[in-house]
Amino acid sequence: MQELVLIQPSRTAEKEFAQEEARTALRREFEERLAECGPLAYRVARGVLRNSADAEDVAQEALLRAYRRFERLRDRGRFRAWLVRIAFRLAIDRTRSSKRREVRETLWSQAAPRASTEDIAATSEFQAHLDRAMDELPEKQRLVLLLAAMQGHSLEEVAEMLGLPIGTVKSRLFFARKQLAEKLRCHRK
Amino acid sequence: MPSKMKTCEDYRAAMTDAAAAKVEPSPDLRAHMDACASCRTAFTEEQQLFTAIDLGLRSAANAEVPTSLLPRVRVQLNERPVPQRSWIPVGAALAAVAALVVAIVFVRGSGRGVAETNPQMIAATHNESPAVIQPSTQTAAASDTTSPLANSSSRRPIKTATIAKIEQVVVLIPAGQKQVIDALLANVQQGKVEADVLFAEKPTVALEELRVSPLEISPIEVKPLADISPESTPPNEKTRR
Repeated sequence: MQELVLIQPSRTAEKEFAQEEARTALRREFEERLAECGPLAYRVARGVLRNSADAEDVAQEALLRAYRRFERLRDRGRFRAWLVRIAFRLAIDRTRSSKRREVRETLWSQAAPRASTEDIAATSEFQAHLDRAMDELPEKQRLVLLLAAMQGHSLEEVAEMLGLPIGTVKSRLFFARKQLAEKLRCHRK
Repeated sequence: MPSKMKTCEDYRAAMTDAAAAKVEPSPDLRAHMDACASCRTAFTEEQQLFTAIDLGLRSAANAEVPTSLLPRVRVQLNERPVPQRSWIPVGAALAAVAALVVAIVFVRGSGRGVAETNPQMIAATHNESPAVIQPSTQTAAASDTTSPLANSSSRRPIKTATIAKIEQVVVLIPAGQKQVIDALLANVQQGKVEADVLFAEKPTVALEELRVSPLEISPIEVKPLADISPESTPPNEKTRR
């Protein structure tokens, strides 16, 4: 059994100061990563939820969770991948709450790109079908598809971020796009 | 034997695969499309479909990040500056601190108060509740007539079941350390400091055992009592007579 003894207050104070210093350094390091990876967390959540307000909530929660566990992350180089997974998982959990679905779809249709009326109708309709088709994809394929669609992410970077071989990423991407096409073929204009 | 001629349907999967992979069609497929206008159109439509899918994905994946996101997160971080370890609930940590304070009071009280006034009570207090030794506890003395504090000369064993509660804990603090301890406790209560800083591993250096040398009792010499009365006669003289 572990035995404990009370330590001297002066020693405690010294330890406390040292811990405070370590916390400050940790916070500083996290702040740097926050600025770099915060948008990524938001975009992953937005890609799943397709609603800005929900995505912001989820991104915030993901970042806070990451901060709480940041100290335990041994390989800080894996922070991006780690954060992506947290944000994706939280977004998936939230999207399962069917309560928000209707609101989300309404908001999404309001945020359709500006073009002619017919185009808006066609695009938003197609987009709605695409959203539904995305929701039906396996999660692994969905995450690869989202990350690969983000600007500035090459397939190599996606593979590195997810810790997967490049061949696996290409394969998931290929089958995901094929499944989407299968579902959307009848809806194309 | 010549191979069977492929139909348009046979090329359908190859067209989809080529469009999905964004690669040039194979020479076989290319030759067929050169000859078949409907397959050429179908392949163009497949490519358009995948382009539309990619556009839709890009628009979903590259949404503009709200400017309020990072400030919101920073505010939350400032409200919770200390990464909490989930395996130490705050409540449990505070309860441990409270138990520790009570234990300190118990040890100090039993060492000074009771032991000095009534050494025989040491054994009893080790077996009984720490509540007994609270000199500042009003209810203790009032509610229990068998308490050594109520009647220290009686030296009766303590009945702690009827002795009561600690309402006010008095902690003795070494001179000059009160401010440090006050600041520390305030930080613990505010969650800035984890309560486990109050604990440290027990030193690995083994303490020397307390050895008590055995009592040495020299043999008792028994001597006959001397007869000091003037009339008495030593026995050897009587025998002489």
